[in-house]
Parts: sequence; C-alpha cells; structure tokens
Amino acid sequence: MDVHSRDYRARARQIIEETPEVREAVNAATQTFVDNRQNAFADLDGTALSRWAERVKSHALTHLADYLEEAEARLIERGAHVHWAETASDVHQIFERIVREQGVKKAVKAKSMLSEEIGLNPFLESCGVEVFETDLGEYIIQLLGEPPSHIVGPSIHKSLDDTRVIFHERLGTPRDASPERLAEAARDLLREAFLTADLGISGGNFLVAETGSIALIENEGNIRLSTSVPRIHIALVGIEKVLPKWADLPTFLQVTAKSATGQPVGCFVSMIQGPGGLPGGEPDGPEELHVVLVDNGRSRLLADPEVWEALRCVRCGACLNICPVYRQTGGHAYGYVYSGPIGGILGPGLVGLEETLPLPFASSACGACADVCPVRIPIPDLLHVWRQRAVERGLTSDVERSVLGLLTSTATRPRLFGWAEKAAGLLPAPVLRHLPMLREWSAGREPPRLEGPTFRELWDEGIE
Amino acid sequence: MSDERVSKRARARILDRVREANQEREPVEHPGALPDGLEPPGPFGDAGRSDPVGAFEDRLRAAGGEVVRLADEAAARKWLEEFAREFEHVSVGVGVPDTLQPALPKAPPSEAALGVSVAVGAAAQTGSLVLSSKEGRQSQLLPPVHLIWVRAGDVHTTLGDALQACRQDLPATLALHSGPSKSADIGQILVTGVHGPGRIIAAVLLGPKP
Repeated sequence: MDVHSRDYRARARQIIEETPEVREAVNAATQTFVDNRQNAFADLDGTALSRWAERVKSHALTHLADYLEEAEARLIERGAHVHWAETASDVHQIFERIVREQGVKKAVKAKSMLSEEIGLNPFLESCGVEVFETDLGEYIIQLLGEPPSHIVGPSIHKSLDDTRVIFHERLGTPRDASPERLAEAARDLLREAFLTADLGISGGNFLVAETGSIALIENEGNIRLSTSVPRIHIALVGIEKVLPKWADLPTFLQVTAKSATGQPVGCFVSMIQGPGGLPGGEPDGPEELHVVLVDNGRSRLLADPEVWEALRCVRCGACLNICPVYRQTGGHAYGYVYSGPIGGILGPGLVGLEETLPLPFASSACGACADVCPVRIPIPDLLHVWRQRAVERGLTSDVERSVLGLLTSTATRPRLFGWAEKAAGLLPAPVLRHLPMLREWSAGREPPRLEGPTFRELWDEGIE
Repeated sequence: MSDERVSKRARARILDRVREANQEREPVEHPGALPDGLEPPGPFGDAGRSDPVGAFEDRLRAAGGEVVRLADEAAARKWLEEFAREFEHVSVGVGVPDTLQPALPKAPPSEAALGVSVAVGAAAQTGSLVLSSKEGRQSQLLPPVHLIWVRAGDVHTTLGDALQACRQDLPATLALHSGPSKSADIGQILVTGVHGPGRIIAAVLLGPKP
C-alpha cells in the first residue's frame, strides 16, 4: 500500500472542513466501542489481565525465533505448506506461483491489515485474479475504491445513506433499501463468490506455536467461509502474531474481543491446524493450506531497543476508539494502513520515520491509549521516542525548533524568565495572536490579560 | 530465483535477524496460567461453576442464539419432529447420530434450509459451542439456520477448559460458534445472517451419555 502519511495535516483539515459527517460517524462508532469495552471490563481485574497478557507477548517476542520454528514444524506435520517472506515482493512471488500453478481465477478474501500493508489486492488483480473482499465493511469500501478507516470497522466513516447510494449504483438495490435488504444483497453476491472461488485468503489474529494453530476472530462468518470452502487457503501471518501455548489462546481471544467491541468473544472463531479435505481425512475443507510468515519490517522493529514493545499489538483498535485525535477524522487522514496511536508507533518502525513523520505528532499526549491497551504497550512513551528522533534527525520544522529552543533557554534561566514575564505584561494583548504557533490556538480564544503582580513576585512577598 | 529458494533464504535471514534482535535483550519469562480468580469470569460469578448449562444458556441467548433443554433422547426426538416441520430439506454433519437427525429430505449444504451438527463441547463463559471440521464445515456455515446438539456433560465452565478438552485430538479446524452471524458495518446498524447462519439453536441434551 502506498504510504501518504506526509500529507496528514492537509488531509485531516480537508476531512474536518469538507466532510464533517465523517467526524460525526467516526465519533458515534468509536463511542459505542468505548462504552461497550468499558462494560465488558467492569467486573474484571483489567490491570491483572493486561499484565499477564503483556508478559505472555513479551515472552513470545523475546523467544520469537524458537516459537516460529515450532509453529512451522507443527504445521508441516499436519500437511500445511509454510513460506517465509521478508518483503511485500516476496509475498507477491509466493502468491504468483500458487495462482499460476493452480489456475486461480477468483479469490475470496477475509479482512487482513497485513494484506493491505503489502498491496495484495492490486497485485492479484494484475495476475488476472478477481478478488472479493468478503467482510461487509471491506466489501463496501472495495465498491467505493477506498482504503479502510479503522482496524476493526473499515467502513465506520460511511453512513447508511452512503451505503444505500453505492449499493443502488452497483448492485441495483432500491435507493431507500433497509440495512437488512442491503446486507441480503451483499450476502447473495458474496455467497456466489464463496462457492465458486478457487482461493481463500485470510490474515491471522494469533499463531499458536505449540499446535501450529492459526486463530481468526470474526462476527460475520466470512472468515469461516473463506477458509473452508475454496480448495486453497493462504493465510498471511505477521511474525509477531505468535502465542507460545494452546492454553494462552482462550484468554487472548476473550481479551481481544472485549477490547475491540466489548463482546465476550467474536461470533465465530476459527482455529486452523492444517488442510482439510483428502489430505486431512475430512469431508470438506481446503485441500491445500499455505501459511506465509511475513517480516515486512518487523524484525527491524524487534531489534529497536526503545520501540520493540509496539510488536505486542493484538490489533484490537481500542487505542483508536479512545483517541481524541483519531476521532476527529477517522483513519484516512493518516494515509497508512495503521492509524491512530498504534499507527504513530508502528508506522515509523515498519516503514520509516521519513515516510510517516506526522504520525507520532498526531497526538495530544493525553495518555488514554495506554490506559486501554490490553497488552500495556506504553504508547505515549513510544510516540515521544519517535518525536525525539525526528528532532534529532533534523526532520522537524526549523521554525518550530527555533521557537522551542528559545523557550527552553528562557525557561531554564530564572532571571531571564522573570524579565520575559515582565516584558510580556507590557505587550499589547493582540500581539500574542500573531506569534507563530499561537495564531491558530488564539483564533477561538480571548487573549489572556497579563496584568497585576506575577506569581513569582507574589511568592517573593509571601502569598497569604 | 524460484519462490521456494526465496522462501528458504527469507527464512534463514528472518530467523537470524530475530535472534540477533533478541541477543542483548533480557528474556521475559512466561507468566504461566492466569492465577485463579483472575480468569475472566462470566457475569454470573459462582453460578458459572455450579450451573454451567444455565450460564451457557444465558450467554448464548444474550448474543442472539436460541437454547432449548431436552430431558432425554425421547424428549429430544419429540422436540426435533416439531422443530423440523418448518424446513424443506436438511444438511447433516458426518457422524450425527440417526436419532438426532430430522426426518427431512437431504440437500447439499449450499441449498439446505437447515444444517445439523453435534458440538464436541461448549463453554459457559463465552456462550460458545465448539465445532469440529471432522463432521464437515459446509453444513455448519451455509444453511441459514443451524441446529447444534450438545450434551450437558460437555458444557464446560470456562473457555480454557473447553479448549483444553480438545487439545489432544485437534481436527483440521476447531471452531467456536457463539451466536448468529452479525455485522454493524452498514451505518452502525446491526443486521444478522450476513454470511454465516442468521439463526442458531443449541439443543442441550440433559441426562447421561448413552
């Protein structure tokens, strides 16, 4: 996927000014998620749970090579093919061979953020494969030609009416169709695709090393269908998705579902150990299971002593839902597959700071994301690390660096600070409006009146 | 370079980089099982332990599923006869006992109005039925209505227990079904039966295993 994060500020402004309904839609959806998440954790010791989950994930990451080899061995024993890919191009090559050798013409796809990272859909289309996104939200944005706006709900920025319009145009449903009617139209069309596709593609929420199990969580049933009906299933799994033991899985399934939508668990969970059909000695299921273990920047991020903890992420979206900055625009402003707070720490790690520069700065430093992260990623700290690096590498604006440098020099010299205070009191108030960086902040505010003794003067006199 | 050689080379390089990344790092110990009492309980607390079937029923109902309890095989057959009347044809999973199959003409899963399965277990904590791919997956997914038989003795309190019970004999795919298929992707309005079955009925067989 092309990264457009450098345009964040312009895109954010455009979304807020030109399409205010997006902000409304995103706010409504995320507030629902936030409320439901809160209810789900009300009777639980969330802190103890997240401490446990953090340790399991950190253990997995600090022993990652061994666990990846174990998962691979289990999968091969069951008759699955395991491939490894360092880059997007490696993944493309793997798909290209399977498509060519198996004569794949049609593919059904379950939602996978990793597949967006590596630009899978355009590549498959260039190989002559017709690709159907089967997650209803992904299907809607596929029709619209848009990228996803949220990790869990790709189309939360689209209203009912938006969906009515596009379905009317492309599927011929009535212009005022009910949500049930729209869902029915999508179901009938995609059902046909499930039944006639040669290939099913999925991501992976977790990869359990002990049993080689790929775990997938969903509510619609499209993942179960995509991974059961076509004769070939390819699962794309980031190397950081590893869980060590089968016994770790039930808690992670529940914690992820509760953090994402407040549900006890998703309506459907698939735990896939190997191919079905003849190789698996079963009545149906894919004859071939391919698991592609993908790096795409993860091993480099793992090597980073300050930011590696970002790899604990379970993609629940809780940090997006609670982020006051994300809620203003939804995901499109970020120009990258991962948006919100997690986007601000994964983006620079996976793609590079130059390409994703504005993202760590798209934050009010409120810290709410750290409170809701089920694996206790210290997101504000990691955002801060990237910001520091941006300044050190000279990537931030010269004006900002100068102004902040001046402020630092003044604030760290008490006498100079005292004089500056007095001088500011002598300035006519409207001047403040025109100072760089204060202009926008003061646009909607009355200027403060700097009159009377300063706090320091009062202190010296002895305040009552 | 052939894709297999790319994969082999990628494997070696990825594992090397991962090992090197962790070389200087303090390894973190696995914390072991969650301490007792911290495992996410159901909303029913102790009731979940003393009455797993009741707790399972509450949870599955809350998610939009239907639950019926049947005292014994005779009651089950009677109920099934009544229940099956509204359906034209059925797709039955492999291994479903004859006594638990409705007397309806069989149809392929993609055409059948009703699918019938036997769960290998259930979990009260999450209101989940555990299904095995050994009986065939299409009858679990394609018909719009899904009837799942489960024995009361196979209803575990926690999801952990339910999954642990399957650990030694994992099929190609073990699945959890915890409610009818649903989505709120259309303008945040909930609709059911989007891809998977829009109606699921758990029929709990009380009484001992035959």
